[in-house]
Amino acid sequence: MQSGLPVLPLDSLLWDVWKRRADEKPYAEAIVHWTAGKEPYRWTWGGLVESAARFSNLLQSRGVKPGDVCAMIFRHHADFYPLYMGISALGAIPAVLAYPNARLHPDKFRQGLEGMARKSGLNWLLTEKELGPSLESFVRRPGGSIRGILFPLEGPDAPPFSVSWRMPQNGAAPHGPCLLQHSSGTTGLQKAVTLSHLAVLRHLAHYGKAIRLHSEDKAVSWLPLYHDMGLIAAFHLPLAFGIPTVLLSPFEWAAAPILFLQAIHAERGTVTWLPNFAYNHMAICVRDEDLEGIRLDSLRLVVNCSEPIRSTSHDGFIRKFARFGLKPEVLGSSYAMAETTFAVTQSEPGMGPRRAAASMKALAQGIFRPALPGEKTRVCVSSGRLITGCEAKIVDEARRELPDDRVGEIAVRSLSLFDGYRNDAEKTNEVLTGGWYFSGDLGFRHEGEYYVVGRKKDILIVAGKNVYPEDIEDAVCGVPGVIPGRAVAFGIENETIGTEEAAVVVETAVVQKDLLKEMKLLILQAGMEIDVTISRVYFAPPRWLIKSSSGKPSRRINKERALLELGPS
Amino acid sequence: MISQRLKRVVLEELGLDGFEMTSSTMASQVPGWDSLAHLRVLAAVEKEYNIRFTSLEVIPLKNVGDLQLLVDKKIRNRSPVS
Repeated sequence: MQSGLPVLPLDSLLWDVWKRRADEKPYAEAIVHWTAGKEPYRWTWGGLVESAARFSNLLQSRGVKPGDVCAMIFRHHADFYPLYMGISALGAIPAVLAYPNARLHPDKFRQGLEGMARKSGLNWLLTEKELGPSLESFVRRPGGSIRGILFPLEGPDAPPFSVSWRMPQNGAAPHGPCLLQHSSGTTGLQKAVTLSHLAVLRHLAHYGKAIRLHSEDKAVSWLPLYHDMGLIAAFHLPLAFGIPTVLLSPFEWAAAPILFLQAIHAERGTVTWLPNFAYNHMAICVRDEDLEGIRLDSLRLVVNCSEPIRSTSHDGFIRKFARFGLKPEVLGSSYAMAETTFAVTQSEPGMGPRRAAASMKALAQGIFRPALPGEKTRVCVSSGRLITGCEAKIVDEARRELPDDRVGEIAVRSLSLFDGYRNDAEKTNEVLTGGWYFSGDLGFRHEGEYYVVGRKKDILIVAGKNVYPEDIEDAVCGVPGVIPGRAVAFGIENETIGTEEAAVVVETAVVQKDLLKEMKLLILQAGMEIDVTISRVYFAPPRWLIKSSSGKPSRRINKERALLELGPS
Repeated sequence: MISQRLKRVVLEELGLDGFEMTSSTMASQVPGWDSLAHLRVLAAVEKEYNIRFTSLEVIPLKNVGDLQLLVDKKIRNRSPVS
């Protein structure tokens, strides 16, 4: 089938590709910026690229140089997109960071940023004036990498007029870095991945083919752009191919998910990407009466990605929205990660992801086999087949390859693989060996398709966000009454909301009920300060936690024991 | 000023006991009141008062005081003074 899409020139820079789109169709829509209660702002290709060039000029005049890493910390803003592109036009490297949630303690935000600045080598902070005062100390720090804070979307830093957008890129090369992504996480543990223009364009070319992207497509997304799924799938992919993308605010989506469905209806959106919890959030929270007049027939692909896929989430989503034109076959799935630019696998568009009813007993022994009648079953949802340019294998603890239907760690090799975490040789050596990236995810291959069933690492994925248990444990150990170093955090599956919830067991000598009630509040608040909602707190007496052979409390064993023996407070 | 009734509904929905809440308290300051729990809390308030919020009404809410004002407005509109 002809896609009607241009072939991506792999020896180019992203800016050259965008300029080409502006030359080809200056009046066509590139980005539609949706904000609740306002008319959408519609960027044409000509307007977008011209504005990007102005921002580029502005940044250059403020001292930003090619190769500089520019952290972008903004809320939903129509000028964010040309600013991002303007950084690229200059030959600098954009790095989108999350705008601090009001829950996050300012000190924790600063600590996280400090860790990122150190590891990622951030050179500039581009942000909103509101954040300025809390970030000033970064610039004054001796020996720090940050050279300045700019407020390019406000006040005197607004972009000047009259610049040419046919600017050179100051020596940037296709093999050079074009963006920096961070693994999502809580505080200082984010790992930075830089990707080259070549890696990104090559990946977009392969991924576009895998989802049968065509010229009539229109992407719709509320995903944050600091996440690879939002940045690569919903932003870079449509831009590179010149198809329009409709972008909403993640905060507004969470508060009013109907907005996303209204955007799909109004804009006739065809493709979107969602983390698993979003299926449940919309199925539960959107009211039928608000859906009156909304049609979702235009959708041809809804890709579930970035969290383990739950069949019940897909079922609930279809049950809820089928009456409004959502077709079951539009559901899709993908296995993706920032380290491979984005996708490794993709389900066949228009077919719905395959399912395998696995014996839970066999899975616990590391083997996939279909469940026998009467046996406890886990319905595993396939993440699809490898996309072109990617290889994967399932390996055992010694990293030896396992045959089909055996559960092990998923290792990936890809044409668009990162070449290591920036300034972090230790972490890089842990996961990158012989050109293979060892993902830490557990899964199996069955009839050529990949099924992700768990994680080797203890990391929690709460509503699409990676949370390191160490961060939660450190935070709650500061609460008076908790015995220092005696806390264990873990995730508990919540089928209703379609994601994991964070739980913590803490040892304490306190037994009085009213004091325990106070401690619980302080523990929940300690979680809030690192932007983690702790849903369950278990109190245990001193020396209750079981240690592993390494001398540290084992999260898996203590989770099982807590669920069995302790009631949440 | 927020009513005891509103306070009770919110804290019950979040499973909190003994948390102090005033009209200037923001959701982000209340344990468990995150973006996913937000709609659950609002649904509980709607049920308690037999009112309905629209998405455009709930997005600008900044604190519990704003929520109280919205609830009061909804109740007034439901039973206009003759």
